[in-house]
Parts: sequence; C-alpha cells; structure tokens
Amino acid sequence: MTAVVQAEGLTKYYGRRRGLEDLTLDIRAGEIFGYLGPNGAGKTTTIRLMLDVIRPTRGQVRVLGVDARQAAVRSRIGYLPGELVLDGRERARDHLAFLARQRGGVPPGRVEALAERLDADLSVPMRKLSKGNKQKIGLIQAFMHEPELLILDEPTGGLDPLVQQEFLAMVREVRAAGRTVLMSSHVLAEVEHVSDRVGIVRAGRLVAVENVATLRERAVRTVEFHFDAPVPREAFEGLPGVRDLRVEGASVRCTIDGRPDPLVKAAARFTVVHMVSAEPDLEEIFLTYYSEEGRDHDLQVSA
Amino acid sequence: MIFKSLRDQRRPLIGWTLGLSVFFVLYVGVVYPSIAEDPATYSAQAVAKYPGALRDLMGGLQDFATAPGYLQSVVYQLLLPALFIVCAMGLAGRSLAGPEESGTLELIVTLPITRRMLVVQLFAALALGLLAVAAVTLLVAWAVAWSAGMDVGFDRILAAHTGVYLLALLFGTVTLAVGAATGRRAVATATVGAWAVLGYMVVTVGKNVDAVSWLRWVSPFHYYAEGRPLYQGFPAGDYLVLAGAAAVLALTAVLAFDRRDVGV
Repeated sequence: MTAVVQAEGLTKYYGRRRGLEDLTLDIRAGEIFGYLGPNGAGKTTTIRLMLDVIRPTRGQVRVLGVDARQAAVRSRIGYLPGELVLDGRERARDHLAFLARQRGGVPPGRVEALAERLDADLSVPMRKLSKGNKQKIGLIQAFMHEPELLILDEPTGGLDPLVQQEFLAMVREVRAAGRTVLMSSHVLAEVEHVSDRVGIVRAGRLVAVENVATLRERAVRTVEFHFDAPVPREAFEGLPGVRDLRVEGASVRCTIDGRPDPLVKAAARFTVVHMVSAEPDLEEIFLTYYSEEGRDHDLQVSA
Repeated sequence: MIFKSLRDQRRPLIGWTLGLSVFFVLYVGVVYPSIAEDPATYSAQAVAKYPGALRDLMGGLQDFATAPGYLQSVVYQLLLPALFIVCAMGLAGRSLAGPEESGTLELIVTLPITRRMLVVQLFAALALGLLAVAAVTLLVAWAVAWSAGMDVGFDRILAAHTGVYLLALLFGTVTLAVGAATGRRAVATATVGAWAVLGYMVVTVGKNVDAVSWLRWVSPFHYYAEGRPLYQGFPAGDYLVLAGAAAVLALTAVLAFDRRDVGV
C-alpha cells in the first residue's frame, strides 16, 4: 500500500533561516502519526508544506498519491491550523457551511452531530468565540467532510480535559474507519495514548521515528513490590534490565528497562501483598532524544 | 467564493453606497441650486478663491456655475473619484492582504481551490461590489441632478460615472495585486495612495510643466479626467485603457499570489 504522505528530501528555508532540512518520511494509511518537537522545531513548516500553503526550497511531498501542489487533493484532507484565526461577524454555522460547500459537501446533520459531541455553539459570531470554542469550530471543520487524511497542528490547545477526551475518541474512530491522522504536539503526553508511531523533529531535522508500542516496551519504569515478610536482596540482584535496586525489609523498589518478566518471576517466589508499577515515562526518552541528537548535531556542525 | 467575499464586505459596501449618495444629495441637491441662482457671483468667487496652480489642481474650474461645469469641477473632478478610490482600496485590501495578515486566509487557501481561481474570484467580487456601489450612486446622481434642475443628460452622467468606476476598479486592482504579491495591506495601501496622489498632481498642476507632463501617460487620471465625458460623452479609447490596465493588473495579482508562500 502506498503511503498517505510521502516526503522526500523536503527542505524549507525562510530566506536564510532554516525551517526544515531534508525531511524524508512516510505516513502509512490507517495510522495515527504523532509529530513531536519543541516549539519552532519545524512541525508547522512541515504541515504547511503538505497543504501547499508554503512551497519547498528543495525536495517534494506527495499527499494521498498526488503532488501536494494539486489543489483538488485538499478536498480529501481535513486541516486544523496551529494558529487558527476565525474572525468577523459571520456565525460559525455559516462559515462551516461555506467551507463544506467548497470541499464538495458534507452529509446532512454531520456538523450538528460534531457540535453536540464537542459542546460547541454554532450560533455565535466568530469574533465573539473564546479560544477554546474557536478550536472546537476548527476541529468540526477538519472532521466534518470525513477526509481520508486529517492533519491537525497542535489540536488540543485551549480545549478543556473533557473535550480533549472526546477529541481523542474521535481520532480513534477515524483510525477505526481506516483513515489516517497526522497530529503534532510539543508534548508527548498529548499524543502517546492514541499514536501508533511518533516522529520527533528538532531544529528542523527529523531525529527519530518510533513505534509507540516498542517505545513503551523499552521505556524505563519504576516498580515496587511489598511482601508479607522480609526478602533477601540476592533474589533480585543481577536480573536483566533491573537497576537502582533497593531492598528494605519486606519491600523492593527498582527501575526496569524493557520487559518486566524476569522481575515478576523472581518476585513470584515470595508472597506479594502489594505491587505498584508506574506508567512508563516516555517523556524522559524524548528528552534524551532531544538532547543527545542535539549534541551529535552540534558536533557535526563544529567538525 | 465570489458570493462569500461580497457577503463579508456587505457592511462597507452598504456604507459607501449610502455615504456617496449623501454626498450627491448635499453637493448637487443642496449646494448647486444656490449657485445656479446667482452664477456670476459664485463663478467669480470660485476663480478668486483658487488662484493659479490651485485652480489647476481643482481641474480649472471653467464654467463653474453651469450644470455640466459644476458637476465636472466639483463632483467628478476630484471628490467623487477620490472617495471611490478609497472605497476600492478598502474593499481590495480586505479581500486578500487583510485576511492574510489576520490569519483567516489560512483555511481559505487550504480549500480545494487553486490559488489562481481564488484570486480571480476575489477580483470578480471586487469588480461586482464596486459595480453595485457605482450603479446605485449613478441612479442617485441622476435623480438628484434632475430634481435640482440640471440640464445634463443621463448619458453624460453615465459616461462620467463609468469613468469613476473604471478608475476605482483600476486602483482597487492595484491594491489587490500589491497585496497578492507582498501579503502586506499597508504596502498595498501606500502604493495606491502614492500613485493616486502623484498621478492626480501630474495631470492637473503638472500638465504645463514639461519636466513632469510626460508622466501623465502613467497616470490613470489622464485617461479619466481629460476626456471630459460630461461635455463630450464616452471617451471610449481612454476607458478601454483603464479597463485593459485593470485586467493586466488582475492577471499580475493572480500570477503573483500563485507563486508565493502565504502567511510567513
């Protein structure tokens, strides 16, 4: 199956300032791709290149099988800009109707259903909408025509937690229907629970593309066992992946890298009364990506 | 898209139509009758009030107290075109460069419509919007002139009004083109302002100054004001130049916007 988004050597300079350097990336049909990086790393540049809002300095990007320069393909894309501006006296409902017509129509009732899910008021003039409510309108316009590809730039900004949950549910439904989502964020926590893969950009370069499940498996997590009686330290020493081991009477605390299987089997020889396993902290992995790649990159530059 | 652009601009369009209508009622309906009562005095006063170059700037003020002379020098010489140009500049500025600067254009350029078609449609909306303002004010002008007892035929007012429309469309298209090429509304407004003021100066004060008089060929006012439509009817050649220039500039706008990064 061909990729939904294919970027090859995609490069963008704004004058002499680098926006994006040599991005080569495939986004597969039916996946949710999290696009991560600190502010100013090149996420929005990448996204705007995909939508032909800006033009590449070098390289090319194909979207849904055609060159991104083809205007017609955009009826099959739903796009939420990172800095969504909705203004004017026009009511949100009328603006959505206009966008829908331009994209070739939306099933009747679809906009209302989305508005109800997100608790958005469509009868207010757009300039009177709060930031969060504008974001809801932005999401409705991106989802309403059931596009094959959703490109969402920082979609959760300004949304309250309940609406965020609803939004994540909508994203999962899109994937379940076999459609594709690209969403960017500067924090991993926003995308890690829905993304299949994540790409990390830093200073205009794609530094890694990772499978989230693999990442989670590889992540360091803190585990704590409490037993009914004191346990010998030797029983837990030398287990693969186990580090920072601390045995204090009847409790064992350690961090574990990768699969917890050997540790669990070691613990099973005693009577476990209580066990705590913290969520793997993927954020920490990303911070190492950011900083390590940064160091490598700086070395290359100075060499 | 044309409809949407017109709808977004309906307030300024209605405002300008009303404002220009009031302008006609005041200048033609109220002021003219008192001048017509005593032509000799007012004519002499006008000539005395604006000496030399200033009189040139006002278009000469010939036959100030006759109906076509009054319409020509007071209404169609400077005030009405100036107001119409400001109106066109506003409409054109709000159609492309304004939304680009505010950020609302982002969703529009990502619609499945080519950049070229987008600019063509915005230009069409500009032309239609101005046409609506021109059509209504033409009727008002004619009605007021008739009720004030002016002896000027509808065809002559139509000819002069067409000139104003084409002039405003031209400057509006300049605004659109500069906005399309730069994305900056202030740059577009400044360009049009400078061109309009200098262009007007060249064909009035500058027409007897050899050093600048050749510049009248690039002044749109040369093709507008020198045909004297209120006296002679349609200056077809001049108006074709204005319309042709607007078409060329519209094409420039289309091509310029097609090449550019939007909103950077």
